This record gives sequence, structure tokens and C-alpha cells, in this order.
Amino acid sequence: MSSGGPPQSPAVAKMEVALEGECPLLAATFAYWDNILGPRVHHIWAPKCDHLVFLSDGEVTFLANHTLNGEILRSAECGAVDVKFFVLAEKGVIIVSLIFDGELKGDKNTCALSVILPQTELAFYLPLHNICVERLKHVIRKGRIWMQKGYNIISVLSLEIIPIMELLASMKTHSVPEDIDIKDTVLNDDDIGDSCHEDFLHKAISSHLQTCGCSIVVGSNPEKINKIVRTLCLFLTPTERRCSRLCRAEASFRYDTGLFVQGLLKDSTGSFVLPFRQVLYSTYPTTHIDVDVNTVKQMPPCHEHVYNQRRYMRSELSALWKTDSEEDIPPDTIIHTSETFTPDLNIFQDVAHRDTLVKSFIDEVFMLKPGLSLRSTFLAQFLLLLHRKALTLLKYIEDDTQKGQKSFRSLRNLKTDLDLTVEGDLNIVMAFAEKLRGGLHSFVFGKPFYTSVQERDALLSF
Amino acid sequence: MIGSPDVVALTKEDEYLVTDPDPWVLPKEFNIPLHPQNDLNPWAKTSYAKFTKDFILISEFSEQVGPQPLLTIPDDPKVCGTFDLNYFSLRIMSVDYQASFVGHPPGTGYPRLSFVEDSRVVLGDSKEGAFAYVHHLTLYDLEARGFVRPFCMAYVSADERKIMLQFQELSLRFSQASECLKAGNRRAFAKELQRKLRDLEYTHSVLQREEGLQREAGPRCVYSAHAVEKANELANVEKSIYEHRDLLRQISSYHQRPRRDPHAVTCQKCITECLNECEELLNKYGKLASLFTCGANERRGEDGEGERGDEREEGCEEEDEAVKRRPSYTPQLIKAKSAKCFDKRLKTLQELCDDTFYKATIDLLQETEKVFRGDLSNLHTRRLERDLCRKQNPTNFLFEENLDADEDEAGRLRPLCAVNHAVHNDELSNPPPTVVLKDLDAKEPSDLLGLVESHLESSASDQTPETQESSEETKGSFSSEKSGKYQAEKQQDLASEAPDSDPSHDLNTDPDRETSSEEIDTTNGDDEGDQTPVSLLEVVSELEDTDTATDDICVVQSDMLVPIDTACCMAQESLLYEASAPEMPHHLQSSHLQRSADQVVNQEPQSLLPLPDEYAVGYPPSESVTTNGLELPVGMHGDTVSRSSAEDGSDCTMSVSIGTGQAASTLGYGGSRTMCHRKKVGQGALRFVRQYPFAMQAIWCLLSGRSLVVLGADEGRVRRLVAALALFVPAPGKCGERVQPWLSCPITLTDLQRWKLIGLQRVASPLGASVLYSLSRYSRYISILDADQKTLRCPPYCGQLLANIADHRTFIRRGSTYFLHLQSTLCRLAAKAFLYTFTHHLHLPVSSTEGPEAVEGRRRCFLQDQLGLGEEDRQIVLYLSQLITRHYLQPDAGTTTASAPFSFDYTSSIFYKI
Repeated sequence: MSSGGPPQSPAVAKMEVALEGECPLLAATFAYWDNILGPRVHHIWAPKCDHLVFLSDGEVTFLANHTLNGEILRSAECGAVDVKFFVLAEKGVIIVSLIFDGELKGDKNTCALSVILPQTELAFYLPLHNICVERLKHVIRKGRIWMQKGYNIISVLSLEIIPIMELLASMKTHSVPEDIDIKDTVLNDDDIGDSCHEDFLHKAISSHLQTCGCSIVVGSNPEKINKIVRTLCLFLTPTERRCSRLCRAEASFRYDTGLFVQGLLKDSTGSFVLPFRQVLYSTYPTTHIDVDVNTVKQMPPCHEHVYNQRRYMRSELSALWKTDSEEDIPPDTIIHTSETFTPDLNIFQDVAHRDTLVKSFIDEVFMLKPGLSLRSTFLAQFLLLLHRKALTLLKYIEDDTQKGQKSFRSLRNLKTDLDLTVEGDLNIVMAFAEKLRGGLHSFVFGKPFYTSVQERDALLSF
Repeated sequence: MIGSPDVVALTKEDEYLVTDPDPWVLPKEFNIPLHPQNDLNPWAKTSYAKFTKDFILISEFSEQVGPQPLLTIPDDPKVCGTFDLNYFSLRIMSVDYQASFVGHPPGTGYPRLSFVEDSRVVLGDSKEGAFAYVHHLTLYDLEARGFVRPFCMAYVSADERKIMLQFQELSLRFSQASECLKAGNRRAFAKELQRKLRDLEYTHSVLQREEGLQREAGPRCVYSAHAVEKANELANVEKSIYEHRDLLRQISSYHQRPRRDPHAVTCQKCITECLNECEELLNKYGKLASLFTCGANERRGEDGEGERGDEREEGCEEEDEAVKRRPSYTPQLIKAKSAKCFDKRLKTLQELCDDTFYKATIDLLQETEKVFRGDLSNLHTRRLERDLCRKQNPTNFLFEENLDADEDEAGRLRPLCAVNHAVHNDELSNPPPTVVLKDLDAKEPSDLLGLVESHLESSASDQTPETQESSEETKGSFSSEKSGKYQAEKQQDLASEAPDSDPSHDLNTDPDRETSSEEIDTTNGDDEGDQTPVSLLEVVSELEDTDTATDDICVVQSDMLVPIDTACCMAQESLLYEASAPEMPHHLQSSHLQRSADQVVNQEPQSLLPLPDEYAVGYPPSESVTTNGLELPVGMHGDTVSRSSAEDGSDCTMSVSIGTGQAASTLGYGGSRTMCHRKKVGQGALRFVRQYPFAMQAIWCLLSGRSLVVLGADEGRVRRLVAALALFVPAPGKCGERVQPWLSCPITLTDLQRWKLIGLQRVASPLGASVLYSLSRYSRYISILDADQKTLRCPPYCGQLLANIADHRTFIRRGSTYFLHLQSTLCRLAAKAFLYTFTHHLHLPVSSTEGPEAVEGRRRCFLQDQLGLGEEDRQIVLYLSQLITRHYLQPDAGTTTASAPFSFDYTSSIFYKI
């Protein structure tokens, strides 16, 4: 690491964030383009840790300023948040920068919220990039409103920067490995009922796949939780596994928006309180699995989930817009009493649709002898089948609608042609396809309605 | 009473239509849309861009005109459309990410080259809908400001997610391209320095001569102004020489610096070559220092040390000659002015780099563009498929494409560096800079050169045959002796009986060997053409390659033998009807497997087939069948066949030679295929399904192992049909050996064993009559699809498994989509067969008292109740299971066509007609 760089400006405020464990993040910065001075760092968040500081504040400032270079040419639409991603080998760092416009001291400025990590963490960070960016994008939306009102944006940004630091620190120690040994999962049991009830396993995996591989596993026994977490992660891609987290035995992590599978430990009272807002802000709907009582609940399908999410976000932004004082950043509860929008708090429902794909897989895989690679091979075949079916479904719709130019009206034909007449099967394959082409559910099943797959299909069949 | 129209009339228009904005309503620019465009059309997200498809842009930050685009890949203006390349270049080059000091650092006398690492940036222009992975690099140019020319290579796409999801692959490929450019640039830079030094040296000698003349002409100890000027000029030239020598030293020490970029991709051979060249130059121009010493001595020698001075002079002249022995370049006199001229034309990128390296870089970028071309969903799924297929070795051969070929197509880095040095991919992707550094550090340059020179004698031409031999040896050890013998015999037979045998057969016999020798040839050719020194490192790397190859092979072997539960297969093959063997420890199973495999091959195959006797006779063929092709299935009804088997055998060899001579063996899943080819065959298959109501029956025949003959007069039509149907042939072989697209002679029983799908010519001649005779003769074993009359003769099929892929009322519109659908269905079939094959309890007797009938009954029950398969569907799973078993127990035999199982049943055939 080169030591060169401008000296630290005394005007830069710095917040040290105390974290448990090792945080891979070097610093986060908020910089803006001052109309007179050019790029200027306004605030630095740095993890407070014992080990040697990798970057001096001067270097952080230098790097943060660099993220704004060239943005004088920016011609994005008002309100757009652009993402820039730097790998600067010369400095040994990677920087994720979100560029946006905001009003500071009465002037419209280009601003950058940046996160700096060492380059050695590139492989660790890349799978988590999307999660971090989505969360930061939303906090920037809130921050822009705050800036417009002339308030200090830092307090708003801190609401997400600190949890992201905590997320990265927790992932450093508890992320699910890319390669999972099937021996550490339920699929290695001699018999289907050894670890958990047959129907529970089927329901859990089926719902997990129907919600795009996004699940939370809660329970009181960390080993049991982690076994189910690993089992569910077997059905994810290696990158998605890197976005999944095992349960911590000592004390539970908090729920983190955007992770695919996360294990959460119940407290001493035998409960785990899920933050409604964070669960709703996840990219995909979530399956809730309680390994203590063997229950499986799931959120509505993608199109409904996205619709609910957007409504909630809009309410949150509106509530922020209406806030009078800088001191009271509205907590989540405010929007629950909003006159225009009352979210349905009962978002986790029973798994309504049964499938044949997972059912037959579960039935069959336990026929193969455990301890060898037979079950892994069989699992690979099953996943290959699902991925191929998803791509086929996507191309089918693409062909039928001329890449979205026409509306899709032949769901019944699709089901027959692709052997997806069972609702659960269709849900699973649609969920896989949704990950390949975001917005597919909304496109196929309609946008503003609370229309389930089944209802829509019934409508179309008339 | 006042009605509503009256009320409207009383209102003002602007009040009615335009209302004051509510200050409590969140303005649009701070809100998010409830229904974004993406929901209305998920494909619209990438449609804002003004370019039609992804492309690669190379830009430069010119010191004269600023950021400017240099070239695009593909070089087609249609691709970029109305997209403003100038503006985009300005945007991506507007930041100096590699900001480092260049020029004269304080405290140093000479200018310093800045060795900066590449930087990678992903950025976008959301308004334009353009996103880019940008790879910044710096090249050296003696005439540029600070000797550096900043460039960047950008992969421009409309899909931001595509770039981020494939960041590491993009980074790897562009790093490779960048290193290639830079290696070429260092070579060119060193050559430029060489020329410059020669010029300076020449100028120095001229000035020295002039100065000497003036000194001699003028009075002693009195210097004229002109002489002083000349002396200054001479001093400047000398300084310049030192500076340039230092630059040469710096550029040659490029590789010795520690790399800060852990993701840099370097080819050892490129590094070594460049290093050697620079060292060579440095070594030569190091003599310039002694040249000056010579000059000084010369001057001192005037005072009386005549003889010694003369000797030295001679010595210096010799060395001087050695340095000057460069016939391609005539040194020029340099005028006393700065080397940096801003009014000069800047060198083009091609001029900045060595030509070979430039072309290699462009090739690499073109390949990169092709690899990342297309939709993200396709690319992503293909990558996942590859990973998953690797985990299902036992069944891949059935319907999956050749993974190696697929890798090439789908864009893994080619196992060569950009200039085609034979370096393994591992070395490319995980460069060992520190190790190299250590090696270099440990050795003095002269030592290194010494080593290099000593190894010059054993250059590539000497080393390559050894490598080749060793690789052949390795391959020899990989393939079983038996199969080797068999292949050799087969080749001999073919050579003796069919002198004009086709090359495709050679390909079938050992394609690996040919590929390997091709690679070696390429390497040789390069080396000969290049005439660059070959270093120790190269030899070491080649040896390492061989080791790696050996390791790879070992891994493959162990993969094939270790992981699966062998007992299931063995049960089917031998255990079932032997005394029930106790379960052995897992580590012993592989050896037992080998024995078992031998047993299976050598034994009478009576116990091998779980098919009922009514329709399964004598499967699978024993080795005797494999080798001579004569011992055809003989059952209670097979007497006629067995009697005529000898003559069939002789015929068969003939027909093989004729048949394969015309075979274009790129059919089936085994051949490497492009997307275009997939689309085409998918379209053909879809057309077949739509056109022929009995398509399901034909497909069932193929999937259940019954040979299908496509008979027709029109070669094109028959070939097209065969190509379409080849998709349904299980285990078609790496090059589609199980498919014969066009045969003009009567078929024989050996043909039926060798090929599962045959295109047969219908001719109105005596030969045609014999063709038809052969068809009727073997009609009980085969199904016949008449392409001219659109009829099919085969046993009836009433199952459910294929209903989904052979429904002529399907709404699938495109061939590529049908192909995907087919792939997933066949994948499911393979999974069922795998399950059946390796479900332990099905094939082993539960107790010692249990007889084969009970086991057979259990199997039947499993197929019927557990998998829900009817009689005909069961045949498909059984056939696939047989193939899996055979492939598993005899992995080598799986590649040879002769070892394919042959079965037939006596169910009466039905004549289908449109």
C-alpha cells in the first residue's frame, strides 16, 4: 500500500464503529462534489478494530475523492443511483461507489457513498455485492429526502452502513461454504425420517425452492438449524451459498435483508422476532422454517412480494418526506398507522401448493445408499433438471411474447407443453426463472393485483 | 336545480385541470415507481441502449487529443449503432485510476518508468443504458509524455447485471489480453530503446570525431566557443545514453518487481522471452560504458601507451562491431534537442506493441466477445450446467454434450496464452509471480543468462518429442491395454480391408492423441517461426504441464472408479447370480470392480440382463462379439441369424468401411455444438414431431435401444431426419459414432450393433433390391422409418414418458426452445435410469435364500410402483440402465461403438402411416 496521498482534512468527520470479530471493510465514505473545491469527503465510517489499520484517513480521503472523478460529466436522470465498482490493484483496494445527486447547502451536488475493502476480499465480496448495493440504494433514497430538507444525511446513511459492516463481519465467520459436503446435511441420513419428519423436509425444500431459494431457519438448537441450512443450501448455486449464513451458537445474529438462507437462534423465551420491514425488503419472498415445531410458512409469490415491497417503500419515503424534525427519523412503526397504507403483517402463510418434483426427489434420493457419492450425483441431476426447465420456461415465454412485446396469454399451454400442470412444480420452475429474468412473475401473473398463480391461471382458463 | 354540467361551467379551466402540488406528497424524483418498466416487460431493461449487442471498445487517453476510441470488436459500425463512442470514451477515460508518479522523481538523476498495475472499473451511464467493464492499462512509449500512454479496454453491455455476475471471468480474460499487450509493448519499447541507443552511440562517435578534429586543429589548451559547444553536446549525448541505458535496465527489471495485483494473469513463457530479450540488450549495451572507457583510454593512449592502447582499441572495435552488428537498422544522427517531441505523430497501438502480441491480443478479445455474447440467462445456465454435469459422471455420456468441447465453446480460458504458448490454464489463472520473483532474485542476471544459453541447445525442438512421448505414454497408461490392442487390430483390419477408410474413423479411435499432437505441432511451429530463445523456465513449465496432465488423468481415473456404489452395477452384472458376496469395504471396491469388470466381459452374458426373456436375448455382447462382430444374439428364435452370422461378419467389415466413409460424425449430443447448431437440430426435431404423428413411436425405439433405419431416396432429406433424430439416441458417442447418417449398401447385423440410427439410401437397382432384402431380413430387430412414404414400422408404444416431448400439438415455437425442453426431459430420464441402476436393494438378494426371480420381481415392482412406469416406458429405463452399467464398469469400452449393447424383442411391429 502506497503511503502517498493528500493529508487528512480536519473537516472530515469520522465515526468509528465497534464491531464483533473481524470486519473486512476498511471504511465507508460519503463524498460530494463541491462546486468550488471539487470532490470532497464529508464523512468517514471506519470499523473499530484492534488490528493494524490498512488505510490512513488521508488515503481513504484520496480514494473517496477518486470515486467522484469524471462525474462532472454525469448526465443521469434526477434521482438515479448509479453504481461504480473499482478494483484498484495499485492501491490494493476495491471500492463500491453509489453516485447520486442531492442538495447540499442549497446547491445541487453529485454525491458518492463508497465502501472500501481490501482487494484480497474481492472473491468474498462479489457474491454479496448485490445485497449491499440494494440496501445502500434504498438508504440513499431516504438520504436524498433528508438532504432536500436540509438535514444531515449522515444520520440516515448510518442506519444502513453500520448493519452492512455487521453483515460483512458476520459473513466472514459464518457464511456457508461454496462446497457443501452432503454428509453434513439431512440428505445423508439413512432414512428419510431420521433427522426430520418426511413431510416437513419435503415442505421445507419445496417452499424454499418456490421462494427462489430464500429461507430463514429458526430454532433453539444451533446444530439442528445449521443442518437444515446446509441442506437447503444444497439446492442453491455456489454464489448463492456464499450469500447464506449459518446460525451462531452463542447468540443469534440479527436478520439480514437479502441473504438467501440464514439460520437464526431463538432467544431464551423460545422466540425470534422478525423485523417486518427487513423481511419485506428482501429481493425475493422468504420461506420461514421452524425446526423446533417443524413448521414451514412462506411469503406470497414474487410478483405480490415485489408489489408489497414497493408499496411499503413508498410509504416509508412518504413518511420521511412528511417528517418535520431532523431528530425523529421515523421508525418502522409509523407507516403501520399510515392512513393510506396498512401492510398485511400476516405475510407468512401455509404452503398452499404441493409439487411432484421435490416429492419424487425426496422419495427417491433416500433409496440410494448414503455415504457414497450417489446422492450427490442424483442431486446434481435434479438441479440440472430444474435449471433446464427454468430456462425452457423463460424461452417459451420469450418466444410467445416476442420478448415481452405482447402480453402472455397462454399459461395453460405452457403448463401442458412443459409438463408443469401441478401448481407447486410451476411455482418452483417460475422461481428459478425469476432469478434468471427479474420481473417475470409480474409480467406473467399481472402487476397490481394480489393474484396468486392459481387464481391467475383460473382466470386465463376461462 | 343545478346539475353537474352547470357546476363545471362555473369552474375555471386551469383550476379544474391543474391543481397546486400538495407539499406533503412526495415528489416523483424522490419516490420509486410502483410498477416499474421492468415489471411490464422484463426484457425491456436492456432495450434502452443505442447499440444492438455487446462489444469491446479500446480507447486511449491521447496526450494530443484527449480520450478517443481506437477500435471496437466486432469491427462493425452496425453493432455500435448511434451510440456515441467519443462521449463514452471520455467518460471511461476521464479518471486516472493509476495515478502514480512519472518522470524524474526527486533525488534521482534519471527518468523513472512507472510500473503501475492495471485497474478495473465497472461503471455505467444509466441514461444511455450502457454499462462497461473497463480495464485500464499503461503502455510505454519513448516519445510520449512521461514515457506512458494510458489505454483502456472496455466490455460494453446494456446489462449491468451481466457484467457484475461475470466480473471475475471478464477480469481474467482482459487481464490476459492486457498482459499480452504489455509484454509486446515492453518488447517493442526495448527495441525502440535499442534503436535509440544506436543512434546516440552513432551521434556520440560523430561528435567525438568532430571534437577530436577541432581539438587537433586549434592550439593546445585553448578552446574555441564551437569546441565548447561540441563538448557540451557530447556530454549531453553521453548523459542521454546513460539515461536510455537506465531505461533499458528498468524495463528489463520489470518482472523482478513485486506484483501488487493478485489477479494479474501472466504467461511464464512470455515473461521469460521478454526478459531474455531485455537482458540480452542490456548486456550488449552495457558494453557502451566500456566503450567510453575505451574512448578515454584512447585519449590517454596518445601520450605514449601506444601498443596497449592499440590492443584495447582493437578490442573495443571488435566489441563495437558486435554491438553494431544489426543489419536491419542504420543509425541516424540525433540533433541536439529533446527526445520528447509533441508535434510528432503518436504511435498507433499496433506500433506500440510487437505485431505478434498485438494480433494475439485482438484474437483473444474477439474470442472474449464471442464467449460473452448473448443473453445472461443462457450464459448463466450454461455455466451451472457445466458445473452440475461434472458431478454426474456416470450418466453424462447418455445425453450430455462433450464437456471439454463445451468448455471451449462456453468460454473457459483456452489452455494457451494469448500468443499460443503451451502453458496450462492453471498457470495462467494463478500466476506465481512471487515464485518467479524468487527464482530471478536468487540468480544473478548473468547466471540466468548462462542457464538460458545452456538451455538454448536443448530448445523446443529437442524437448517437444520427449514431451510428446511422455504424453503418449501417459495416455497409453490411461487407456486399457485391451482396448488399445483392440483399436490397433481394428485399425489394421480397416487398413487391410479398406484402404480408403475415412479419417473420421481415425478420429474415433483416439481423438485425444491427434489433438495432443496438433498442439505440439503448433508449439513447434511457433518456436521455429519465433526464433526467440527458449529458457529453462519454459522447459520446466512444459515438464510441469506433462505432470499436470498425468495428474489430471489420474483424477479422471479415480473419478470414474471410486465414488459410486459399485455393488449395484456388479449385482446386475455378476453378483446376482453368483453366491451372494459379503459387502466389502469401500476402499476395496475399486479393485474388485476391476475384477468384476473382467468377469463381466469374459463371461457368458446370460445373467446380465434384467430384461425378460421374451424380448431380451443375449445381451450384452461378450468380448468375442466385440472383437469379431460375429457372435450375435442367439436365442431360441435366433437360429437363422446365428447361421448366417459368419458371412454377416465379413459383410459387416465392408459396410463399416463404406458407411463410415460417408459419415459426418458430428451428430448427437457428443459432438461439440454451437448455439446455431443446437437451434438447427432442435428445429429439425420439432419439425419431425409436428409432421409425423407417430414421432413418439420412433423416439421410443431410439430411447429403448431398438435400431431405427431411416429409408429414403433423397440424401438431403434422410440426412436431415437423421440429424434431428440423433438427439434421441442415448450414448451417441463423443463424435456421434452410434449414428450413420447415410449408408448406400445393405445393412448387416454388425451395422445394427454398431449404429442405432441409420440413414439408408433407397435405390432402384440390384443393389437397391439387396438393401430392401436386408431390411426385411432384419426387420424383427429394427424399426423402419420411410422418409419417402412417411411411414413407420415398429412395435407399438403406449407409455407416458415421451408424451411431453413428442406431442405434435405442442405450442413450442422455436427449435432452440424445443431443444432445451428435450434436454430437460432426457435429463429426467437419465436420472430415473441412474436411480434404478444404483438403488442398492434392487439388485442384491436380501438373503442367501432369495433367488434371482425374487430380485427380478423386486425390480419390476420398483419400476412399476415407485417410478410409475408402464411396460414400454420400463424398456427405456432398462436400456438406459444397461448403458450406464456398461459405461460404468467399462468406461473405456463406452467410447467404442462395437461394445454397444444389442437387443431386440419379438413384439410384432405395427405399420404407421400419416
